[in-house]
Parts: sequence; C-alpha cells; structure tokens
Amino acid sequence: MSYYSGKDGTLTYNGSVVAKVSNWSISTQVDTLDTTVLTESDRTFVPNLRTTNGSATVFYYDSAPVSLLGRIVKTATVTESDILAIKLAWGSKFIQGNCIITSAELSCAVGEVMQANIQFQFTGAPTGVSL
Amino acid sequence: MSQGPTFPDLTPSARSMSPGNFAGKTFRSQSGIETRIQYGNKSTDKSLELEFNAVTEADAAQIHDHYQACNGTLFTFWMSIKPLAGNPAFHQGDDSYSLNTANRFNSTPFGLRWRYAEPPQFDSIKAGRMSVRIKLIGVLDS
Repeated sequence: MSYYSGKDGTLTYNGSVVAKVSNWSISTQVDTLDTTVLTESDRTFVPNLRTTNGSATVFYYDSAPVSLLGRIVKTATVTESDILAIKLAWGSKFIQGNCIITSAELSCAVGEVMQANIQFQFTGAPTGVSL
Repeated sequence: MSQGPTFPDLTPSARSMSPGNFAGKTFRSQSGIETRIQYGNKSTDKSLELEFNAVTEADAAQIHDHYQACNGTLFTFWMSIKPLAGNPAFHQGDDSYSLNTANRFNSTPFGLRWRYAEPPQFDSIKAGRMSVRIKLIGVLDS
C-alpha cells in the first residue's frame, strides 16, 4: 500500500521516456444518448462516444520536448505518421494509447525556466490500461 | 385496399397528432357572407408523427419491416397500444393504457385507418442505436 506522487510519474512516447516532464494529466469523457420515451418520468441514457485527451508540461532542457513539439511545429504538413503511442505511467500503473498532438505551446519568460505545454487527443480506445 | 400487420408495440420518444378535418367546402359571397357545405360525417386526413430516438437496431428493424409488410404507403394497418400511450386523460372515455379503441390519438374511434403518409426516416446514431421518424395519415378506407 502506498501513495503515488509526481516522482512516480513518467511520460513515454513510442517507447522512449520524455525527460524533464513537470506534470501530465489525462481526462476521459463519455457522451450519452437520451433514450427517454413517453410514459417515463425520469430520463434514461445509454453510453455513446468516448473521448480521452490529456496534457503535459515539459521543461525545455536540451531537447527534451522536441520529440513532441516536432510533431506539429514543423515546416511539413501534419500527417497520420505524426500519431504517437503515448504512455502515461505512475509506478507500475499506466494508461497508453495512440495520440495526436493537438496543441504545442512554448513559453519563455524572464526569471522562469523555458517550458513547453503539450495537449494531446487519443485516437481510438486506449491500447493498454493498468489502474 | 389490403390491410397490413399491426404496428410494432414500441413507445415513442415524441408524438404529434392533428385530428384532420371534415370533408366540405366553404363559399364566401361578395358581401362576405360565408356558407359551408359538409360532404361527409367523418373527419379525415388525421395525422400522427412518431419519433423513436436512440432505439435498438432490433426495434428500428421492426418498423422497417412493418413498412415493407404494408407495401409502403399503400396498405392500412391497426395501431398497437404503446405508440399511443402516455396521456391517459386524453383518451376518449378511457383512463387506462389498455383500451386503444377509445384513444383520441388513434384512428379507430373516428372510423379511420392508419397508413404511412411517407417512407420512414432511419438515422444511424452509433453501432446498436438508431433513430426513426414516421408520419402516418388516417384515411377513410374503401
């Protein structure tokens, strides 16, 4: 029995661990379909489409965030070959799936370490989950 | 015209009905006086629209097959109970859900028979779920 904290977390893409990750988060939502009919007094639903997306912040140390940034911040067009297998892990637990980087934000300010904020969207179901 | 099978006993998500009108003709003279001549003792062209939202594919298939069994918009058919249930006080002399022959939503108490006014519309929502919209018309059948 143990708690988990930031020191247990890792972010992996295509099998390689991304260095200098300061935080990541993941969120899963399921849409609902309204199946309420006449004669019913309480709404009924069935699950519809599921969406999973997440974000990560990576310090710009050497070229730590480049592998993620480079998927959409580049001169070439973004294509299906830019879909990544991302794995978010904490201890021995993890969630992984194929992702599209949907946002890459670089910030550089006086007195602060330069960092990259990455947002990603799962395409398809998670390919592996261990909670 | 031939009679098709009874409509599937499915509860709709939404229902809309218009009672139709009696056959007749209205004349208006130059002075503005109006004269109305009634040609029949039964109202006709009663309309009923039913929506079945996010139903199972099996339920949608029942409606599709019923439309086919009715030869599309040609055959008339009887209505089952659930499509007309849900407003018991609106039933004609009947506050239960069972006596469909006295339901103001139905065609039977008014001497009419239902037929499809147009082909049903089937929308795919997701695997396993579909939505269906149908429009019926109550006619005085020969």
